[in-house]
Amino acid sequence: MKTYNYFKSQDLFKRAARVIPCGIYGHLSPAPLVPPASYPFYVDRAKGSRFWDVDGNEFIDYMCAYGPMVLGYGYEPVDSAARKQAMAVNCATAPGPVMVELAEYLVALIPAAGWVFFAKNGGDVTSYALMVARAATGRKKVVMIKGGYHGVAPWAQLPGNHGLTEEDYLNGIRIGWNDFEALEKAWDQNPDQIAAFMATPYHHPTFADSELPAEGYWAKVEAFCKRKGIVLIIDDVRAGFRLDLRGSNEYFGFKPDLICFCKALANGHPISALVGSEALKSIAAKVFYTGSYWFSAGPMAAALATLKELERIDGPGLMAAAGQRLTGGLKDLARAHGFDLKVSGHPAMPYLRLTDDESLMLHQEWCGECTRRGAYFTSHHNWFLSAAHTEEDIQRTLEIADQAFKAVKERF
Amino acid sequence: MGRQPKEYELIKANLNLQAVLKNLEEVVEFDPESAALARTWEEAILFRVHHGPSGHLVFRDGRCTVGQGKPSRPSIVLFFLSPAHFNRMMEGKAKPIPLKGFSRLSFLTKDLPRLTNRLEYFLRPTPDLTKEQSYLELNTRLTLTTAAMAVSVLGALDPLARLAVAQVSRGLVNLKVLPRGPEVWVGFEGGRIEAGKGAKERPSARMEMKGYQAANDFLNGRLDPFTAVASGQVLVKGQLPLLESLSLILDRIPVYLS
Repeated sequence: MKTYNYFKSQDLFKRAARVIPCGIYGHLSPAPLVPPASYPFYVDRAKGSRFWDVDGNEFIDYMCAYGPMVLGYGYEPVDSAARKQAMAVNCATAPGPVMVELAEYLVALIPAAGWVFFAKNGGDVTSYALMVARAATGRKKVVMIKGGYHGVAPWAQLPGNHGLTEEDYLNGIRIGWNDFEALEKAWDQNPDQIAAFMATPYHHPTFADSELPAEGYWAKVEAFCKRKGIVLIIDDVRAGFRLDLRGSNEYFGFKPDLICFCKALANGHPISALVGSEALKSIAAKVFYTGSYWFSAGPMAAALATLKELERIDGPGLMAAAGQRLTGGLKDLARAHGFDLKVSGHPAMPYLRLTDDESLMLHQEWCGECTRRGAYFTSHHNWFLSAAHTEEDIQRTLEIADQAFKAVKERF
Repeated sequence: MGRQPKEYELIKANLNLQAVLKNLEEVVEFDPESAALARTWEEAILFRVHHGPSGHLVFRDGRCTVGQGKPSRPSIVLFFLSPAHFNRMMEGKAKPIPLKGFSRLSFLTKDLPRLTNRLEYFLRPTPDLTKEQSYLELNTRLTLTTAAMAVSVLGALDPLARLAVAQVSRGLVNLKVLPRGPEVWVGFEGGRIEAGKGAKERPSARMEMKGYQAANDFLNGRLDPFTAVASGQVLVKGQLPLLESLSLILDRIPVYLS
């Protein structure tokens, strides 16, 4: 089986490093893709479940742009809705009617939603959610989960990171996942000071296994937050619309006050949304928060088309089934080669790890070998399935994985 | 995070003693001129810093050993009134107060400064100096040693570094200059950091710099970590969050040591 070269990617990167900090910054930085020499750095085009890099290499994409691609790259009903809207008007001096249509659709779709607020990125709405919680409670602090990620605003970053001041992170309290007692303790140590508890619907850190909520965890948290007047915020940016179209909280059986959505909302068109309970609507209206592109009509049309398509085809069901088939096949292959492959998290966005090496170096090598044969796997982050991943994709992926296991077995 | 001057001087004194002076070991081992100077020395010097660290230099059998605390049977004891006094001495702006070893004054005032001048020479690179391969290699070796030892000091004392350490429960990192250059290790355990020369088995993460020039550029901050890793000049593997924390701590070194 052929393995890929990335000469054009690397040449482009050399140019990029001269004029862009890091060359490629943020979550698309190649730095966590170990080894970087096994990964493409630049995409030329994409369609369905696949993309082609600038060297012409083809990949079955199990990262889906780190979540936004949910129906397939270049999905025509979504792109044509966006195009049609943009040809009429996109970013103008007033919003388009599609803003109202999309808001109404989301309120009807999501039981926890009494209203909707639109922005661009997930971090926009997690920050807005915190501001709403602070305005509603008059309190400052936010409890989050260790290893959780809610964007890059200073309040959400880890203490000690560059560019932060002490004041930026003093109001953040981090506790362990599934540790209800730690939430109680955080309250006891900060009585009447906690504005919000913010978490993902299940724990999906990087470089570590995903963890589903323990039995009764969310029920206890929800009840506690209600008792103490803490605003319960679910960051559904990553998992949203993959587990349950009504919000991942519905999948786990609880009701938050605010839910943040982004990624899969519009199949890659730039838009995010915060939905909230009716009780928080008037205070949300008092929090001034806006952005130049937040009212753009094209992405809103794309979001409406995406949600309708996901409903029509039972997107979450398709993704879960594809994820089960993929991960089941990979586990079997690993076992056949004498390795132990652990799968954690929801099947639509699984995290995989070869447990035979605690350092992750074996797993990194295997993911790299799969990628340079055409199945794009990361070793540090959960993967994403989409409704575009076909049975043919999965079969091809298993062939690739088999070859990759053989390659790493020789070295480990 | 705001630093009190006394706290700053204390951290700097610890860095000077445990990270900068530690390089005397390397200079005596790898610089022929320094090796010749120290070849016949048999001295054990104790540095005592009031309200600060204590450490020692031992010259024996042509080698130099630098460590914390008191050596056995010091031949010379040097006292410093404060961490700031010690730091000024390191900058050549103050003298220690000898408490023992008055008969060794000639060693202290003539011989030892020749060696410390060599150390200073190798710790103050210029573009012209680093064009020479042997200089580049030793300067890189010293920078790597300083980095490792400094990490353990900063992880204990610098408020921002301690925040970075708090993100890590445990792990071991090996850092190496490829292909056969110097190696150091850094271990995180229960909120503490230890470091040493050489490599440890079964590290949780590795950072390998492709050659002395890449290592020198990277360790001196002329190459940002993301570009270095993506371009292949620095190879990383394993538990990368350890390396992220390590990188944050390394970035604190220039706050104290230029």
